[in-house]
Amino acid sequence: MKKASLIGLALALLLSISTGVFAESKVLLYTSVPLELATNFADEFMKANRGTKVEVFRAGSTDVVNKIWAEAEAGGVRADVIWLADAASYYAFKDKGLLHPYKSPEAELVPAAIKDADGYFTGARMINMVIGINTNFIKKGSEPTTWDDLLKFGPRAAMADPLYSGSNFTVAAAFVGKDNGWSWYEKARKAGTQVLRGNSDVSRGLAAGEFAACMVLDYMIYDLQKSGAPVDFVWPTDGAVSIPSPVAIIKGSKNVEASKAFVDFTLSKKGQELLVKDGVIPVRPDVAPPKGMPTADKIKMIPVPFQWAADNASTIRETFEKIMHQ
Amino acid sequence: MNPDTAITRRSIDVRYVFMAIVGLFFLAVIVYPLSLVMIKSFSSEAGFTLENYAKIFSQDANIRALWNSVWVSCLSTLICVAAGTILAMLIVRTDIPYKSWLRMLLLLPYGIPPFIGAMAWAQLFGPVGYASKLYMSITGAMFAPWNIYSAAGVVLVLAVYQFPVVFITVSGALGRIDTSLEEAARMSGAGPFRTLIDVTLPLITPAITASALLAFVGCISNFGIPALLGFRARFFVLTTRIYSALSIPDMPLATAMAILLAIISGIPLILERRLERGKSKYTVIAGKSVRPQTMSFGGWRIPVFILVVLVALFAGVVPLLSMLLTSFLKYWGAPLELANMTSSHYKYILNLPMVTRAFRNSVFLAVSAATITMAVGALVSYMSVRAKIKGARTLDFIGTIPYAVPCTMVAIAMILAWSRPPVVLYGTIWVILAAYLVRYMPFSIRTTNATLQQVHVSLEEAARVSGAGWTQTMRDIVMPLIRPGLVAGWILVFMPALRELTMSVLLWSQGAETMGVVIYNMQDAGYTQIAAALSTLVLLVILAGNAVVRKLSKGEISI
Repeated sequence: MKKASLIGLALALLLSISTGVFAESKVLLYTSVPLELATNFADEFMKANRGTKVEVFRAGSTDVVNKIWAEAEAGGVRADVIWLADAASYYAFKDKGLLHPYKSPEAELVPAAIKDADGYFTGARMINMVIGINTNFIKKGSEPTTWDDLLKFGPRAAMADPLYSGSNFTVAAAFVGKDNGWSWYEKARKAGTQVLRGNSDVSRGLAAGEFAACMVLDYMIYDLQKSGAPVDFVWPTDGAVSIPSPVAIIKGSKNVEASKAFVDFTLSKKGQELLVKDGVIPVRPDVAPPKGMPTADKIKMIPVPFQWAADNASTIRETFEKIMHQ
Repeated sequence: MNPDTAITRRSIDVRYVFMAIVGLFFLAVIVYPLSLVMIKSFSSEAGFTLENYAKIFSQDANIRALWNSVWVSCLSTLICVAAGTILAMLIVRTDIPYKSWLRMLLLLPYGIPPFIGAMAWAQLFGPVGYASKLYMSITGAMFAPWNIYSAAGVVLVLAVYQFPVVFITVSGALGRIDTSLEEAARMSGAGPFRTLIDVTLPLITPAITASALLAFVGCISNFGIPALLGFRARFFVLTTRIYSALSIPDMPLATAMAILLAIISGIPLILERRLERGKSKYTVIAGKSVRPQTMSFGGWRIPVFILVVLVALFAGVVPLLSMLLTSFLKYWGAPLELANMTSSHYKYILNLPMVTRAFRNSVFLAVSAATITMAVGALVSYMSVRAKIKGARTLDFIGTIPYAVPCTMVAIAMILAWSRPPVVLYGTIWVILAAYLVRYMPFSIRTTNATLQQVHVSLEEAARVSGAGWTQTMRDIVMPLIRPGLVAGWILVFMPALRELTMSVLLWSQGAETMGVVIYNMQDAGYTQIAAALSTLVLLVILAGNAVVRKLSKGEISI
């Protein structure tokens, strides 16, 4: 009995010492960045910042956003830092007071267009919605070059669903906000363009030859190309949709200083170079983009009315659903 | 006062204590979280409202989805009840060879996550699937005559996934029935077929109904399969509509649809209870340890064997092979050539600390969930089926309700209930366990009910007359009799829990990953090959575990 309590006491002591020494602070990161990249990031950060532990929670964009809303409703978001592809949600998070403002010194070089003026969030990687093609079906010189060209492939073309994919929600906001209303989607419905759940389903189908062309994220095609799939992509002449995938600190975080350090690292030259290795276009002009890719300022983009998209999120999704699913 | 009533009274006291404990447990674990969802479905910014329910029926798409859910689930259930019952009879009660192997092959699909299975089916029968390509190259046709992305595809794959539920339950029941009744029928001149229809079938009817019910509710609340296979065909069911409502986000509408789904699943539950009421006369005194007699097929033995093998190949082996192939591919859909094969995915996952952690977590969760739900389920069943204590039927009903609630809603209920003080489980592994307990309680209650219904009360009465107390009767008489059924139920919970996804994906936190979550994340990020490799590992663990248990129990316990 006595012995047991002594051991217990020793254990408790040991535990308190060990937590005191090894984990001075902890950053919990909620992210939709691919797992390998996210853990790489965390490891590199921890190497540079001894004493700070980064824990990564990685899931699909929509799942993380749902989790954040659910947690907010149930007493507080647990994450310290969030880094998601669903840029419009950050406007909603900001409106609901979930974010902690921070103007990182590393953010100075980041273009003003992709960071919040009050510093609530900062774009940390550029992912772009482009036209993916299967090179077995589409030869050089005959690629589709506009979004309307994509529709010519009928059911041999595909896109992901804005109800599931944050990036495709951004596309819908850009297309609709461009004042052509919903006409592109109405044409797509008539053409029989397939709607799949996520972008990974789309890129898989493209690689497998189920589709000849598709609307897809650039870095996914880059990744597939590396593993030998017969795929490539085209920058649409009427503009790609670029998603800045912002990073932000959650209000009420108990580790604000460590979180700030993590945000700094994400936007730093070193952090952005990590992204480049995985085919992602950096947000800093002083970091060279992946081989064969343009710098962020050279991309022709369709402007995205993010604030409007955040305010009308439900209507946009409902309208898409009515046009494409019913 | 004679000693007999004294015994009865004492035993009743013990039972009520147990009942109170189970009642409190259900109140905290099931009723409280789910009622929060219920409240949400009646709420709007302004307070109480019925408008969420009105909204469901004001949209044609919802009504269509409702109808789709019903007919798809009915059809799938019919298929898997027919196939499950026939195959269970063939394997338990006939002399076809290699039974235990066949049994294992047939149960294989149950061990992999449905969405991975659906992927495997898509890779076989999709527009550019292996089988489709083979067909096109043989016939020279431009398209294969089938399309897995369709309502028919949803029905077929759902049936394949729910079939093990029927098979496990019915073969468990067949293993327990008293063969002397069949012998009596045979001696009275009934032929083997007549005996089967008039004697055997009525004896296993409770098990068939119970499993049909589980299968139906399993189909109607499944999300992964209609999401993957129905989505492209614009074929929506209630669960996929709920997901849409959650993403819009329209939480009150989503909760209202979830409640509607629960009501639809509740109808067959109520019907089953009605049917059960008049059927107590079919219980059997199966006290002695019976080795069921096998029926001989004579010359038909080999043809029947081949038929069963074909079914097993189609339902289990071929999709799994397709999954195994995928796990070695450099990218999904790569042509099947040696140059496109790699073992790097396995190397990658075996070096990922998250995978080891997830394996440990999943095994812990699955074992705990299976053990706790079976213990509670056995108690509830005993109280309601055997002791017929007032209120026990209500507990039975409460425990069965969660199965009708879509997993996503169970997860949301957990978040609503367990992330605020005084009890904060959210953010730890315990909230996932709480969700599993809610979700799998019906499995255990339904299977233990079916098991107990087969054991006649006279054996217990005999024990009590001989002076045994309630606890002793339970330990020495009831438990040994229902053990095969309990084991079957345990497996029925353990296997899906080991690879559970829908709830874990909303509830997991860093450090509390489950296998399902890791697999899903890989799949979601586009690494289908890695997801397939992980699923293969989960399956290997199940097979290895099965081999060990089998060895230890000398062949008595296995899947």
